[in-house]
Amino acid sequence: MAAGDVPLGDSPGFWRQAWRRFRQRKLAMIALAFVAALTLVAICAPLIAGTRPIVCQYKGRIYFPALYYYNRNWENPIFAKDRFRSRYAENLKKDPQSWAAWPLVYQDPYRRVRAEEWPGQPGNPYGAEGKPSRHNWLGTNQQGFDVFASMVHGAQTAVSVGFVSMGIAATIGITLGALAGYYGRWVDVLLSRIIEVVMCVPSLVLILALVALLDRVTNFHLMAIVGLTHWTGIARLTRAEFMKLKQMEFVAAAKAMGARPGRIMFTHVLRNALAPVLVPITFGIADAILIESGLSYLGFGASPPNPSWGTLLAAGRRNIEDMWWLIVFPGAAIFLTVLAYNLIGEGLQEATDPRLRQDAH
Amino acid sequence: MTSYLIRRLGIAVVTLVLITFLVYGLIRAMPGTPATNQMAVMDPSKQLTPEAIARINRLYGLDKPWYTAYFVWMTNVVQADLGVSFTRNMRPVADLIVERAPATLMLSATSLVLAYVLSIPIGLWATAKANTLPERTVSTALYMLYSLPAFVAALYLQLLFYVKLDWLPLYGMRSDNYPSLSAAARALDLLKHAAMPVACFTYVNLAYYSRFIRANMQEVVRQDYIRTARAKGVGPRAIIYKHAFRNTLIPLVTLMGLSLPGLFSGAVILEQIFQWPGMGRLYFEAIGQRDYNVIMGLTLMFSVLTLAGQLLADMLYAVVDPRVTYS
Repeated sequence: MAAGDVPLGDSPGFWRQAWRRFRQRKLAMIALAFVAALTLVAICAPLIAGTRPIVCQYKGRIYFPALYYYNRNWENPIFAKDRFRSRYAENLKKDPQSWAAWPLVYQDPYRRVRAEEWPGQPGNPYGAEGKPSRHNWLGTNQQGFDVFASMVHGAQTAVSVGFVSMGIAATIGITLGALAGYYGRWVDVLLSRIIEVVMCVPSLVLILALVALLDRVTNFHLMAIVGLTHWTGIARLTRAEFMKLKQMEFVAAAKAMGARPGRIMFTHVLRNALAPVLVPITFGIADAILIESGLSYLGFGASPPNPSWGTLLAAGRRNIEDMWWLIVFPGAAIFLTVLAYNLIGEGLQEATDPRLRQDAH
Repeated sequence: MTSYLIRRLGIAVVTLVLITFLVYGLIRAMPGTPATNQMAVMDPSKQLTPEAIARINRLYGLDKPWYTAYFVWMTNVVQADLGVSFTRNMRPVADLIVERAPATLMLSATSLVLAYVLSIPIGLWATAKANTLPERTVSTALYMLYSLPAFVAALYLQLLFYVKLDWLPLYGMRSDNYPSLSAAARALDLLKHAAMPVACFTYVNLAYYSRFIRANMQEVVRQDYIRTARAKGVGPRAIIYKHAFRNTLIPLVTLMGLSLPGLFSGAVILEQIFQWPGMGRLYFEAIGQRDYNVIMGLTLMFSVLTLAGQLLADMLYAVVDPRVTYS
């Protein structure tokens, strides 16, 4: 091979190049690791903190009582029949043959752990007595629920709210933005007006009105509401990208080959528009987490029992004089999560924006 | 320019009608009415007589379906009548807004001015010292501030300055003994109450504006005319102030136009947290009490300001940048 020859082989694709540039940003990588760890904690929450065995043998059969934390209906009826009443540690002794694998921390986000429930562990203190201690790492709340367990289970709320609501927002925003940008003319005028109106509607009114309409608010309602109100930025960016890309040769080529508009829009053009659109989606996840915890904090969040960082903060605000741990820990969790998503969004922006490429160092 | 302005105003009016129609439909769909709100249930003296309720319902179209009632409301608005508040002794909504406006402006105007006054030097300093250790530290700190939610910051500040140090009051705008204080003590009292809300309001804007200025400056200092100025021997200070900063004024002016509605609406959540008796708090209370006219009056005001801010930003753009013309 002569000097100066271009090395042959795979030339890195757009995403591989973007990933390479993203990896060079130390803060963005730390943030990505943080979000990955948080997601893992959220998925494994019942394995980390809970008062139900992850897996146990009882009367000759294997059960997974910890699944209760994912869905209330997944508790095996046998435990109701044998009157366990959520006290697995003592009641499993009814069957001398039984064994169980327990979560790392014996604490529950939905109730107070009492004395004698777990060998060597006193009952949870409550009120101003519930300072962080050896048994309650982050303290307990007014009723004696463990804050660490609530925060671990609250991570589920934070993670799912971010992903689901931005999934909804991205679907709406990308579809409307693609239609407006690709077809132009009256479709564009109409859709742009709709986007403008939705942008101008005070989202607080929209959210409070929708929350008031519901009898019992769940996290899924909140996700839907946030998704339905926060798609405008995504739509505007998608529209701009489509307007730019539809002039390109590959679109003309696809048209000449007889591809239908739907296929051109959502396979050919969208593939090229996806990178810039991912940026507002990432910032949107941070926003969604902020809104959920803010609503819970103001008392408009999901109905109890709902372990959410915002709910803990609200309890902290009511007891600000003597229960600092209800404010410091959940507040830090919200802050760090929002910061992490913002850092990832910024890293993504600089890794995928061709205008900033030369400046990367 | 005139035809552009007329077209923009026409679009703005259509947008306003759509927004208010949507919000009216939403708030009328919320369960409960102002006549049945909890305040009236708890305090019989505030309860309206059935005749009064029927009269109000007739007067403001509440006995009709919401889309008909919306047109009654709009007809009144066109005649400069925002209606009266059902839960506040039938006081006109316009009076209520005027009464609450100074408290909100005291917070928002102070913090907006503070944010601009502080962010411009920080942004310029960050450009001049780009990629040095102090600059990286300050920029990272500002970025973290930008991600710090205001309600978390508010709670942390309250923990520090109220619980731990006991320097500042927890919330409210005035102490209970305010009327008996001397003028100087009154000012000090107000200042103490305003310190935490203003700090919370300012840091969010400060972080955003200084990042914005720095990003724009970085774009400008790469331009050819900056290189030319440098080649001709202009000092680094003059380059930053005279050549570069003047050219970042255009986006900054746009940003100022867009921050106009924030003067009134930016503090809704913060006013609620600090129990500050401004318009944001009024908004929250009105939603809780289903006080339709107050909600609509405030929504209308916020929307008009948002649209006016956008229009103003576009107009200013043409004023500061002669290359921009509208036709």
